[in-house]
Formats: sequence, C-alpha cells, structure tokens
Amino acid sequence: MALTDSIAINGSDTVPKLFMHRVANFSQKVAVREKEFGIWNEYTWDDWGTHAREIGLGLKSLGLGRSDVVSIASEINKEWLFTDLGIVCVGGICNGVYATDSPQQVKYLINDSGSKFYFAEDEEQLDKVLQVRDTTPTLEKIIIFDMEGLRDLDDEMCLSIEQLRELGRTYDEAHPSEWSNEVQKASPEDVIILTYTSGTTGRPKGAMITQRNMIFMMTCIQNCLSVYPTDRQLGFLPLAHIAGRMFYVYSVIEARSIVHLIEDPDTMINDICEVEPTVHFAVPRVWEKQHSLVTLKLKKSTKFAKSMYDFALKIGYARAERILLNLQVSVFIEALFKVCDFLVLRNIKRALGLDKCRWLSTAAAPIAPELIRWYWALGLPMYELYGQTECTGIATCNVESRRRLGSVGPAAKGIDVTLSAENEILICSPGVIKGYWNRPEQTADTIRQDWLYTGDIGRIDDDGFVYVVDRMKDIIITAGGKNITPSEIENHLKFSPYITDAVVIGDRRPYLTCMIMIDHDNVTQYAQETDVPFTNYESLCHTDEILDLIAQEVERVNQQFAQAETIKKFRLIDQLLDAEDEELTPTQKLKRNVISQKYASIIDKMYA
Amino acid sequence: MLESSTLLSVQNIETYYGPVSAVCGVSLVVEQGAIVTVLGANGAGKTTVLKTIAGLMFPAKGMVHFEGENITGIEPDKIVRLGIAHVPEGREVFPLLSTEENLRLGSLNNQLSRLDVVYEYFPILQKHRKLSAGFLSGGQQQMLAIGRALMQTPRLIMFDEPSLGLSPKLVHEISEIITRINTEQSVSILLVEQNAKMALQVAQYGYILEQGRVVMENTCERLSASTDVKEFYLGMKEAGVRGQRRWKRRKTWR
Repeated sequence: MALTDSIAINGSDTVPKLFMHRVANFSQKVAVREKEFGIWNEYTWDDWGTHAREIGLGLKSLGLGRSDVVSIASEINKEWLFTDLGIVCVGGICNGVYATDSPQQVKYLINDSGSKFYFAEDEEQLDKVLQVRDTTPTLEKIIIFDMEGLRDLDDEMCLSIEQLRELGRTYDEAHPSEWSNEVQKASPEDVIILTYTSGTTGRPKGAMITQRNMIFMMTCIQNCLSVYPTDRQLGFLPLAHIAGRMFYVYSVIEARSIVHLIEDPDTMINDICEVEPTVHFAVPRVWEKQHSLVTLKLKKSTKFAKSMYDFALKIGYARAERILLNLQVSVFIEALFKVCDFLVLRNIKRALGLDKCRWLSTAAAPIAPELIRWYWALGLPMYELYGQTECTGIATCNVESRRRLGSVGPAAKGIDVTLSAENEILICSPGVIKGYWNRPEQTADTIRQDWLYTGDIGRIDDDGFVYVVDRMKDIIITAGGKNITPSEIENHLKFSPYITDAVVIGDRRPYLTCMIMIDHDNVTQYAQETDVPFTNYESLCHTDEILDLIAQEVERVNQQFAQAETIKKFRLIDQLLDAEDEELTPTQKLKRNVISQKYASIIDKMYA
Repeated sequence: MLESSTLLSVQNIETYYGPVSAVCGVSLVVEQGAIVTVLGANGAGKTTVLKTIAGLMFPAKGMVHFEGENITGIEPDKIVRLGIAHVPEGREVFPLLSTEENLRLGSLNNQLSRLDVVYEYFPILQKHRKLSAGFLSGGQQQMLAIGRALMQTPRLIMFDEPSLGLSPKLVHEISEIITRINTEQSVSILLVEQNAKMALQVAQYGYILEQGRVVMENTCERLSASTDVKEFYLGMKEAGVRGQRRWKRRKTWR
C-alpha cells in the first residue's frame, strides 16, 4: 500500500464518520458492558453516540476548538470511551493520562500537551490536578466523572460530567446541525490522539496519531487477528497505552464487537470468568501471572490431579509442537488431546476465563517462547505481535496461516519492515505517526524519509519473519567485549513462578548480575509451606531459604545460556513496588535505568 | 538457639478456624522486659495469635518458644503455670462470682498475698471485693481482668484489646497501669490493640498484622512516623488541596 493511498472502512476515511456510521446502523446493538457494583450494565451504540455527542458539544460550548488538546486521567471505564469519541468527533485531540501518574507527571503532561480541558476520574485524580493547576496556564476546566465525595465541591474551574452533558444538550438545541458539521469537517490528516511515550532519553514525548493512522490500524487489526461482531472482549489495561486504546476502543468500533470493562483491576480474574471473552489481548505480565496461578494451584492439589495435569499437558505439548511447525497432527494425538481437554485442560482454561477464546494475542513487552508454547499446549492459539506507539500499534503480527514461535511474525499487510545497517528495525507504514507533539527535531530523528527508526535491534529470516532482539540502548557489552541481549535472559527468569521481573546488568562490567523482583504471593506461599520464618516483605527477601530458591531459579536459567551470558550474582529488590513508584512503568515492568540508578550501590557491591 | 534476652518467640505460626486460615505465617519476638504491640484491623488475626500462644488454639504449623522452651500445643493450664497470663478480649470475668473470688481464680496456688498487690494497683477493686463482678462497670471489669492475670506472678501478660469500650480517660488510666506493671513487676507485655495511638505510646516495638500476615515491624517510634501507619491507623491524613480528602492511598508498608 502506498503511503498516500486513501484508506476507508465502510466508506469512512475518518474515525468520527466511521463512529457515526456505527451509531446510525447498529443503534440498538450492545457496544459496551461495564461492571458496576457487581452488575454488568449494557450500553448500545446509540447510548455511546448520545453520550459522545453531549460531551463533545458540551466541550464545544465551553470553548473547545479544533485541534485543542483534552486530557483524560482515569482507569478504564465507560466514561473514558464516551469522552474519547466525544472529543475526537468535535475535532479535539484526546490525550490519555495514567491513573497512577504523580501530580508532577500530570503537570508535565498538561503543560507539554497544552491541555485546555482535563477529565479526572474521581476525587483522587482531581486532587492531583488541583495540586498543580497554578502552574498549568493552558488549563481552563476540569471535568469529573465520579462525583462521590465531592458534593460540596465549589470551584468554578470544576464541573461534573453530568453538568457537561447538560451544557452539551443545551448547545445541541441551539445549534442542531453543529454535531454533524464537526463530524464532516474531520480530515484524514487531523491529529486525534496524543499518546505519550517514555522514549529513549529525556522526558515523555507525545506521539501524534492521525485519523488516517487510526483507520489504517483498525483495518490492520482486522486483517491480522480478525474480530467478529459476535466477539466478546475484555477491557482491563489502561487506555492511555496504545495497546489498550487500539484493542478496547478502536478495534471495537471497527468490528462492532462488545467490549466488557472490568470493575476494578483487583476483580479482573473474576470478571474475565464471567465474561468468557472470545478474543483476548493482554500484555506478557498478565500471561505470566496466569501461568504462575495455575502452577501454584497445582502445587496445592492432589497427586492424582498433578499427574493428570502432567499427562494432559504432555499430550498438549506434543500436539502444539506439530501445529507450531505447521505439521499434520496425527489422528491418535488429536483424539487423545480431545479426551485430555475434556477431562483436564478445559477446567484450567475455564478457571482462567479463557475457555471460549478463539485467539490470544500478546504484545507491548518481550515474552518467553515457553510461555506461548504453554498456552498452545492448553489448546489456545496465542499470537505474538510487535509494534510501537510510533506506528499506532501493530507492525508485525503472527497470523494463523503464517506464524513462527519466537518470532513476532511477518510484517502486517500494507506495512514494510526492514533492517538498518546496525540491525535496527525500521518500519514504513500508513500507521507511522505524524511526529512528536511540538518536537520537530526528535521527529526528524525518529522518522527519516518515511521510515520509522524503532530503536529495537532485530533480525529478519529468509521467510520474512521478524525477530526482536532487544532495545538498542539495552544491549549489554561486557568488559570482555561480548554483546548480550538482557531481555532474553530476563524473559527466561520471568517464566519462573517466583520471579515477577528482573533487570540484567553488566554493561562494561566483567560479568552479568541481576536485580530480581520476586512474586510476592507465590514466594510468600512457598515460605509458608517450607516454614521459613519472616515478617514483612523486606525480611522475606532477606531469608536464606528464599535467596536459595531464587538462586536455583537463576541457575536453571543459566544452564540455557553460554558461559558469558550466565548470571553470576543477583540481589532481590526488597521493597514491595507499586504502580505509583517510579521504578515501574504503568504496565508494571521494571524500568531498567531507574533500577540501575536507585540500586547503584547494591549493584556496585556485586562487582566489588 | 534463642538469644538469652528473648522471652517469647513465635515462629511462622499458621492457625485455622476449620478451613479458614486466620493466621498464615506470623513470626514475632518479645524480649525480656519489653512491651510489644500487635496492631491490626478487625479480622487481621491478632486475637488468634494470642490464643495460639495461650494454647487455646493449636497451630497447624509453626512453633512457640517461651524462655527457650518449646511450648507449642501444650495445654493452656500448663502454659499459665509457665508464667504466661492472658487478659482476654471483652474481659471475660465471671459475673456471678464476687470480685475477690474472681481474683482468687487467677491465683495458681491460692497465694492470697498477691491480692494486696492487685488492690494496690486497683484500690477500687478492694472497695467492691464482695460485689458480684457482673455489677462492676466496664472499666472496673477490665481492671479485674488485669488483676486476675497479675495474681499468678506472670512473666508475660498478653493483653487483648484492654481499651475496648472504655472512655478516653479510662483508656489513659489503663495504659498507665500497663506501663507500671511492666516496670514495677518486671513483666513483659504483649499488647494487642485497635487503639493504635495508645498502643504506640505504651509499647517500644510493634508489629502490624493484615490478613493474617505481618506487613510491617519496627520500633514504635518509627512506626508512628510511617505515612501508612499515620494514615491508616492513626487517622492522620494530609488534608490535600481541598482541605479534605476521602480517598485512600494504596498501602505500601515501608
């Protein structure tokens, strides 16, 4: 596909037109379900359309102009979806803020994006923005989704979403054709979304995603993974992240499937079992958690159950091995698998809520191939895909007909992927962003002659399958001159049920060391079972038994690597980290640079 | 194996009520002569820890050592004879017996001389020595329960929420008595409390239990300074920008 070709879905070349097409043609069909106090409430396309219209026009009545930025700071909920489309349809630019961001980050995001309006989920999010509003000159109004505890709020800068919708209704009555005018005004080159990325150096940069980028990516998801109107999706990742936004909002608009929004991150495991999604996207952290959940449950179960599981999984692996190599599965194995599935595996899938899934998809972080293999062995096809915010999501994707374990798949339809002389992955796609918000220099640095320089090192095999090696800046060159890709080692470590995350260190050092974050639940349980005395998290991390346990896990991983790639020493991160800590990304990954700085003295001791 | 100054050491006890685990792997130490407090919300497992030490409940796992001796699973009466007194939650005095009869019940071999010690601490009990314990006020009943524990010359007294249902003035009095008993009688004290403010003032070292696990342990001075303890146990919140704040931070326990 040439980069200038126009792209359209159902004759709509912009998101507002497509969205209004859905609202007009499927008005009574359910689009969103949201769990509130344990009950799943339904919202049709008509509801979504009405809310978006009222919110959009309400913002207009308050002075939102085309290409003005509006920020939303909230966990995933229906208001997020409604507001997103409301902003986009009247020509605004929607920027997501993570609910876990600190007031300082909020201040930076508002100022960098020049946000005029700010949507705050609740009291907590409101307090953050109120703390910094004296230093955010562009900010005009703050709109609050959930007014619980704010009945007495008297602040002329703040209003509730209900008040905003009321303004929108009044405005609509006075200007009845305004809404459709704005929808028609949308042009494919308009920026609709800012997504902030941490980038390699410096402060977060706002990636400008255009109407055209988005329409292209919506067709791309459909081509790669196929989502049907009958599909149920589970929405649980933050929408400020490009993956969450694509899968839970825009792919839903494209496919007319139903997205189910969870009540709370803590209830996710129950919610998924109730929804039984038919297609499911998640990040490696979630897949790892589910795997360790099963591993742990089994430890507590009877000998009989364990041997049943081992046997069923053996059959599952045998079958998966054939499928993954695109070989015919023998009738005998298939029959045996059916029996195992009926007796054992189905129950596991049910407990994970994945029983009805047609496909699983993983991206946003590296994942261990063993983990993907495990899901295949359960009988669940899992496809790894690769992309970046800067290409609006997908660049390469394993698909049913073309897949290879360990690879992130071939370039998706309409996208070119190649390598630079330094083996950096380059992407040319209609999804490549227009640039970074107010940062022409960094834009010119990242996008050169239509090619997006990803900052990832990779390789491409003869059949066009792409393999991502690591982030370019993360490659470790040891004092001995050996090039090492830490993420591969880290992935193997994370596969252990006792290890949540790890950061391998060793750049310009004589050997590799590692900072490890233990899996709190699983290690606590282990400690309890083996009578290891401990009190709090910190003391747990310092017990000899736990250090031995992790040492065994590290040793197991070391055996799979060459001598120079083995971890000689490790330390545990003895603080229980939370999403609000700077050590973690919003998707709960350890930040390599923060860890190496914060724990510098501990790391240096490992080399003393 | 234990240091000489360690009086009581609890290692990894797990205690169940039927299939429900109330305490899952709690370890704590009471040094000779110390006041140690265990804080926690309702259902955190505080009382269960005391009951397990007192021998009223049998731990599924773990060990309790007293003066270096393993006392796990020993009959409650033997534990009392070793010198551990338990002041139960809600006082549990015998309402139909008189005050003095209640006190005599606490004595191991009817050492009535101890009565004078108790009456010295709680003159009001002497005044009502013939009165049925059921007619005593809540505060007096609490004093009676403490007095009953003192009767046996214990080495360790375990208090289970002595401030329960008492007026602030009485809470203050009881806390002073606890400190006095600790110094004057050289009795170590394990104090379980919901009244975190009082407990952190009285004790030197504290453990915080949540859902059957220790999430934090430190000196009371440090605990009182921790933001989590301040917000969740002492009710001290930074007021926030609007002068009020209802939402809660996530607990991190550090």
